[in-house]
Amino acid sequence: MWDLSKRSLVRRLVLLAAAWNLVVLVLAGVFLTAQFRDAAIRRFDQSLAVLTDDLYAGSTVDDGVLKAPVLTDIRATRAYSGRYWTIFDQPAGGGGLNVIERSRSLFDSDLTIPVEQSERLMAEPGKTLYFDLKGPQNRPLRAAALLARLPGYPRPVVFIAAEDRSPIDADADRFGRITTFALVILGGGLIAAVVVQVRVGLVPLFRLRREVASVRRGKAEKLEGNYPEELAPLAVELNALLSHNQEVVERQRTHVGNLAHALKTPLSVMLTEAGQRPGALAEVVERQAQTMREQVDHHLRRARAAARSQTSGERTPVEPIMDELAVTLERIFQDKGVQIDWRCPDDLCFQGERQDFMELAGNVMENAGKWCKGKVRAEAVASSPEQMTLTVDDDGPGLPPDRWIDALKRGQRMDEHTPGSGLGLSIVDELARAYGGSVTLGASPLGGLRVTLVLPRSEG
Amino acid sequence: MRILLVEDDPDLSRQLKLALGDAGYAVDHAADGEEAQFLGETEPYDAVVLDLGLPKVDGVSVLERWRRGNVATPVLILTARGSWNEKVAGFDAGADDYLTKPFHTEELLARLRALLRRSSGHASPTLSCGGLRLDPRAARASVNGEPLRLTSLEYRLLHYMMMHQGRVIGRTELVEHLYDQDFDRDSNTIEVFIGRLRKKLGSDRIETVRGLGYRLTPLEGETSE
Repeated sequence: MWDLSKRSLVRRLVLLAAAWNLVVLVLAGVFLTAQFRDAAIRRFDQSLAVLTDDLYAGSTVDDGVLKAPVLTDIRATRAYSGRYWTIFDQPAGGGGLNVIERSRSLFDSDLTIPVEQSERLMAEPGKTLYFDLKGPQNRPLRAAALLARLPGYPRPVVFIAAEDRSPIDADADRFGRITTFALVILGGGLIAAVVVQVRVGLVPLFRLRREVASVRRGKAEKLEGNYPEELAPLAVELNALLSHNQEVVERQRTHVGNLAHALKTPLSVMLTEAGQRPGALAEVVERQAQTMREQVDHHLRRARAAARSQTSGERTPVEPIMDELAVTLERIFQDKGVQIDWRCPDDLCFQGERQDFMELAGNVMENAGKWCKGKVRAEAVASSPEQMTLTVDDDGPGLPPDRWIDALKRGQRMDEHTPGSGLGLSIVDELARAYGGSVTLGASPLGGLRVTLVLPRSEG
Repeated sequence: MRILLVEDDPDLSRQLKLALGDAGYAVDHAADGEEAQFLGETEPYDAVVLDLGLPKVDGVSVLERWRRGNVATPVLILTARGSWNEKVAGFDAGADDYLTKPFHTEELLARLRALLRRSSGHASPTLSCGGLRLDPRAARASVNGEPLRLTSLEYRLLHYMMMHQGRVIGRTELVEHLYDQDFDRDSNTIEVFIGRLRKKLGSDRIETVRGLGYRLTPLEGETSE
């Protein structure tokens, strides 16, 4: 037996309904068949009772000899016709009944009353009793019997009429078959109706699932559909959970940002103070201040990356950010006269937060701007329905292939005069990983470094 | 040279005042946003060193108010957070350079020198086309007084079109002036840049002349000076 709670809700509801239907329909079938059989037997018994009454009423006693009436029913005269009667009397000393008269249909056989029935007859004289017995040729018979006294006859007389009961059994069986057939059809119909009902009834649930999925994939910010009153509170709760998550992330980010801000001004002061008093102490202060700054930056990013996995997806149009970054970076590098040539389809969207895309693209493009001789090319394209690729090229000195992997690692204290060193690209690597993306370095056709960022894309 | 230093941390302010003074600048100091805004609007400074995290009014707002009030003094912003989001917001508000804390005083001084050098060029004639204005010296352009944010390639294209306003300029001609000889170009480059310029200038200033090229004209009702 499987655990229903883990199975599909549809199957669970349908199975329960089917089981219940089965029980009810089987009970109904049994009950109906029994009722039909009872009614048929009652009607059958009545006609037998009429016959015993006729026998009783029509019997005459002449000089102590009992005479059966002449009955016109043809079936009682043809041999083994199925309809029989017999008149017994009970000998004074008890024991078996004596046959006085019998229908011609019995031919050469006798009806025998089972002992317990004859005892009941003795106990209830004048009352018609009904019972089953075996007749000629071992046919099952239904019998009505009456024990009575006739005036002028010394012994109690038993009138018994019997008839082959196989027609009613056949009728009842036929009825049972028809009923079973009808109930099977009814049951099938009910289960089909339940399946349809459950499927239709659960449509809002499936819709909820699709909406939640699209929130997770960043195609929607919250659940917006109208839901029936049973699901509406769930949708409201889910929305509340989403916004709570976002708040927590925002708060975390603000805290970390505040901490960084709070630490950096004192660090500036220390650096400046140390710079003004050259010596061994100043060197230590400067080195330690640098380390502290890197630590702060690192943990700031870690906090942001950790927050990332919990946020619901957001979609960020890429084109305006590329424009802003290009304008800003050209300003930053204006003494050098850096020219940033960028391309991006208008409808390209990054699946994630605006700030993060800015951080990713900004650092990669800044690195390019730092090392280029004057030209930076950036191109964002949709590489698949799920992914986008940002390629940033520069015409600077580039990096030898054996440094391509190291340049992305944090803590690798590289020569500060090497492209791709410093914290910029390791930030990008960490952040891209947090988004399930990647950064790879390579050679650029412009002569310098090519940085390729693969990031999740939001289609829509 | 007169410098306004806006910084709320007393130690850092003291150090920077000393360093700037040693470098030969006359330094005024403001410790909060309100005071900074007031000083910047009333005193003729040659440059401003502006911290972004300030009490009362934050640095970006101060900068935005100055720029809206036509205070064109070059501004170097100091920021502790250093995220790209903040850098872009700073430049959007009208900053000319930025420095992330912690920094070396020498670096601040070097940046400040560069800033002052850039802003001290001689005035050169501005180009205009209706409400569109382009200042070749500062490499800045504006529409109806609103500064335009252009990348250098966009600026180059606009500059060329303004020099030849009213004339239909073919694609090849534009590409040749946009890129140096060695730069490979694809066929829709010009469409991309014209599209971006239209987004920033308003769509009807640049007219497409089928089969020939593009033409920059003043809007109807505007007079070309």
